[in-house]
Amino acid sequence: MNSMTGKEAGLVLCTECHSIHHYHPDIELQCTCCGAELHQRKPNSLNRTWALLITSMILFIPANVLTIMNVAYFGKDDPSTIIGGVILLIQLGSYSVAFVVFVASVIVPVFKMLGILMILLSLKFKINMSDRQRIKMFRFIEFIGRWSMLDIFVISILAALVNISGVAVITAGSAATAFGCVVVMTMLAASSFDTRLLWDTKPDIVKLPDDHLEPSLKKPVNDHL
Amino acid sequence: MIQNQVIAEGSKLECPRCGHVLYKQRQDTISKTLAYTITALIFFYPAVTESIMTLNMAGFLQQQSLIGGARVLLQEHYYLVAVLTFLSSMLVPLLRLILLFIVTFSLSVNYFHKNLLWFFRLYHHIEEWGMLDVYMLGIIVSVVKLLSMAEIEPGFGLWAYAGLLIASILATTSINPHEVWELLLKRKNQQERCS
Repeated sequence: MNSMTGKEAGLVLCTECHSIHHYHPDIELQCTCCGAELHQRKPNSLNRTWALLITSMILFIPANVLTIMNVAYFGKDDPSTIIGGVILLIQLGSYSVAFVVFVASVIVPVFKMLGILMILLSLKFKINMSDRQRIKMFRFIEFIGRWSMLDIFVISILAALVNISGVAVITAGSAATAFGCVVVMTMLAASSFDTRLLWDTKPDIVKLPDDHLEPSLKKPVNDHL
Repeated sequence: MIQNQVIAEGSKLECPRCGHVLYKQRQDTISKTLAYTITALIFFYPAVTESIMTLNMAGFLQQQSLIGGARVLLQEHYYLVAVLTFLSSMLVPLLRLILLFIVTFSLSVNYFHKNLLWFFRLYHHIEEWGMLDVYMLGIIVSVVKLLSMAEIEPGFGLWAYAGLLIASILATTSINPHEVWELLLKRKNQQERCS
C-alpha cells in the first residue's frame, strides 16, 4: 500500500466520534467534538494485549481440566468438563447443538488466542503479512469473541433452574469461573489492541512544524467542553 | 486516508486500505431507533422478572426467571459467574437501551446537553459486553440439554426476552453513529454560539 496513513500526515483520529484532528506530539489532545482523549496509537497497547493474552492462555488450562458442571441425578454425581459436556450432547444425539457448543467454547477461544498471538508476533518480529488479511482476521476475532460466553450462560441457566434436591441438582464447577475469566481476558485483549499499529511500517512519529497547526490546537483544548 | 465525500442515498463507502464500510446512507434513522428502543425497554421488565421456562421433572415443578437465576448463583457462591451473567445479559443491555433512548429522544425533540456526547461515547464503549443474543442461544442449548431428563414448558419471560432481543437488534442496527455525531455536534455548536 503506497497511500499515506493519517499518522504520516500528522493527523489523529478520534476513536470515539471518528472526527479527525491535527496531531502535535507535545500536547495532550482532547477531541474538540466529543471530549475523548486523543492518541495516535493507544498508549501501551502492545504490552497490555500481551499481558491479557498470556493471562487468558494460563487460565485456559484450569478451564479445560477442572469440572465445569456437576449433575447430581437421584443422588448420583456426574461431574463433566467442557469437552465432556460436548461428548454428552453427541451421545444425546443432538449433533447440531454439540457442534455449536464445541465451536463456542473450544474453537472460538483457541482461535482467538492464537489469532491475537499471531498478530502480536508478526508485529514483534516484523513479519511481512498482508495488512488486509491481518485486519480481517482481527475483526473476525473481535466479532466472535463474545460468543464463547455461551457455556457460562448455559451453566448459569441450568444451575439456576435444575435445583430440586433429592431428584436433580446441577451446580457449577470451578472451571466455570476460570472459563469466564478466559472470555473476559480475551475480550479485553482484543479491545486493548490498537489496530492502527498494523499500518505502522515506519516507527517514528512524523513531526510537523508548529505553523502547520491550527491556532486552536496550539493550546490544550480542554476549555471547549 | 481518504477524503470525506458526499455519497448518494442508499449507497455505501468502503475503505480502500482495509475494506471496512465507512459510511452507509439510510433514512429516518433517529426516529426508527427511538421507536425500537422504546419497544425494547417495554419488553425488558417482563423479560427479566417473568419465568423463562418451567421444568417438570418427575412431577416436581420448578421455574426460574433471569434475575432469579442470578440470585441462585450468588447464593451458591459463584460470584464471578453470577456477576458476569447479570452484567452481560441484563445490566449492560439495559444501560445501552437507556443511553440510546436518552440520545435519540433528545435529538428528536431538539434538546441538547453536553452530557449527551459522553452518553453516546459510553454507549459505544460497552457495546460488546451486552450479550442478549449469546444468552438466547444459551437458553436454547440448555433446553436441548434438559429435554433428556425433564419436560420443559416455555414461560412468558422467554417470549418477552425474544421480543427484547429482536427490538434491541433492530435498534442497534438502525442507528447511524455518524449521523448521530454530526447532529450532536451541530447542536453543541449552536448552543455555544447562543450562550
